[in-house]
Amino acid sequence: MVSINGARVVVGVIGDDIHVVGNRIIQLALEESGLRVFNLRTRNRPEHFCQAALEVNAHAVLVSSLNGEGEYWCSDFRKQFTDIGLGHVLLYVGGNIVVGKRPQEDVIRLFKQYGFDRVYHQQPDISVAIADLQEDMTHGKAKRERET
Amino acid sequence: MARPNANAKLEGIERYRQQVIAHPLARGLSTDEVRDFIAKLPRQRFSRVAYDARGSGPCIQPRGGFPLFEAQYRLTRQLNEAGADFIPLTIDSYTRHNQYETATQLLRRSEDEEKNYLNGYPLVSHGYELTRELYHDILKPISLRHGTPDARLLVEIALASGIVEIEGGGICYCLPYSEGFPLDRSLLYWQYVDRVCALNSTTGAPIHRESFGPLSATLVPPAIAVAIQVIEALLSAEQGVTSFAVSFGQTGSMIQDIATARVLRQLVRHYLDEFGFQGVQTYLVYHQWMGQFSPQREKAAALIAGSSVIASLISADKIVVKTVDEALGVPRAEINAEAVDTVRYMLRTFSCAEPVTSPMIDREVALVESETRSILGSIFDMPGDVFWESVFRAFQSGFLDVPFSPHADNANKLMPMRDANGSIRIFDRGRVPISDEDAQQEKKLLASTDSRSDKTYRQLLADINIMV
Repeated sequence: MVSINGARVVVGVIGDDIHVVGNRIIQLALEESGLRVFNLRTRNRPEHFCQAALEVNAHAVLVSSLNGEGEYWCSDFRKQFTDIGLGHVLLYVGGNIVVGKRPQEDVIRLFKQYGFDRVYHQQPDISVAIADLQEDMTHGKAKRERET
Repeated sequence: MARPNANAKLEGIERYRQQVIAHPLARGLSTDEVRDFIAKLPRQRFSRVAYDARGSGPCIQPRGGFPLFEAQYRLTRQLNEAGADFIPLTIDSYTRHNQYETATQLLRRSEDEEKNYLNGYPLVSHGYELTRELYHDILKPISLRHGTPDARLLVEIALASGIVEIEGGGICYCLPYSEGFPLDRSLLYWQYVDRVCALNSTTGAPIHRESFGPLSATLVPPAIAVAIQVIEALLSAEQGVTSFAVSFGQTGSMIQDIATARVLRQLVRHYLDEFGFQGVQTYLVYHQWMGQFSPQREKAAALIAGSSVIASLISADKIVVKTVDEALGVPRAEINAEAVDTVRYMLRTFSCAEPVTSPMIDREVALVESETRSILGSIFDMPGDVFWESVFRAFQSGFLDVPFSPHADNANKLMPMRDANGSIRIFDRGRVPISDEDAQQEKKLLASTDSRSDKTYRQLLADINIMV
């Protein structure tokens, strides 16, 4: 199995959201799993994630939202990456990513349409995402596309 | 060496004020008229008078702010009747970030649709003339609660409205609330606020300032909180403020709360006296748990009751209360009034005549005091001419480091963690200049903790969410 050791991951909170506690916890968790983390912290626009991913040649980008602004900002997230030749980068999103109560499946479907590979709506345990990252980097889309 | 001193007063303040109140939303405010208006306010509106009149228990202050004038008017009277000793005015977050135009637009929309599009009272948009009407018959201090790095205009309008207790400070209203507002500017703007507060004070009826000790409210070690409280008291005193409350948030450990209160009280007095500010009167404010609450009302109520007992044990001058709906959003006025009633009941039934002490508390006091003295000593010894500049550089160099602050100027090197009795320990001091002995002591106390999680992040999450 391919290890995710040293894989480069960009993390950050999207929108005008200033909730930083989860962001710091995610950084710690990823670092403890051996990833190299580039943390954009709070108040980011999609282009900040693009620029950072380009700059560090990222394997994956993890977008967080706690106040639900995610829906507003994320609709052309994948397109922005593809436009600058970063279509292969894994895109994950998580937190409280929409405002109000909506069924899990609807939220997941919506963000998959936006081009995210993995969607975690109101799922508190980051270790799930880390396991998925391992899986995606070993067998997933990212690896295939990078090799072609 | 940049020691705090009384000659550091902001110069050319009157011309500076004219620039600030030239803003159209100041609505022609006259500084002379405001000074006369404040001088004629009933004495009971001043915090010092309220504190001096308090009986054995702490004063009670709820939180609360609604966008519409009528709603705020009703809330004010409900809280007054429920027995709150201090009446809050919580400001919306657009106003806090100086976005007055957006706040005004959303206020109009709230009025039109009778729905709340703001999370507080947009004081600058409402203006001082209308806001005076909120309090025409209130004989208690009104406390301005916000979170504004640049509060110059807001505070001019608050004072003109008859609000003579101003919470905040250059550090405590910047680091936890802003990601990019420059800390040096925040410190300078709060010098303005402090100076204006001093200029509007009269003997026996001073404008009261209060700092916000909970900071990020997430695993802040007591020594960091105490050091910042002392610094903000000194910065205010430099500008001539004579009535000041230091505060801290419930830590999650009774031992640590009792110890923190003791150190905070002692050290703020000690350093004010050392730098020639014997005339500044200080008070201690305790914030009920500022972290995540349980969504279960029974648990929230239990937590509120428990922290009321602690406020009694530490003989706080004031307790700032939460409500059972804390986890759910902005509480209704009735829920807020209930909280005041519950806390009043707890304070009456569980009063504490004698300071509580034990070897464990004494040990905690010695450790927190030693750490705080090291941190402050390092800042006083920094080269430079002006105290506030040393404070600014202390953040740049990581001497002061607030865990989980969103601010870009915060070092984020200090790593906190809870020990076996729930006390917040310094797991990694980063560049915070506490002594090697104290750092070892912190580690030793942490080592006694059982049930450590295999991963640091899991342990931290559990430590943060201890009350849920």
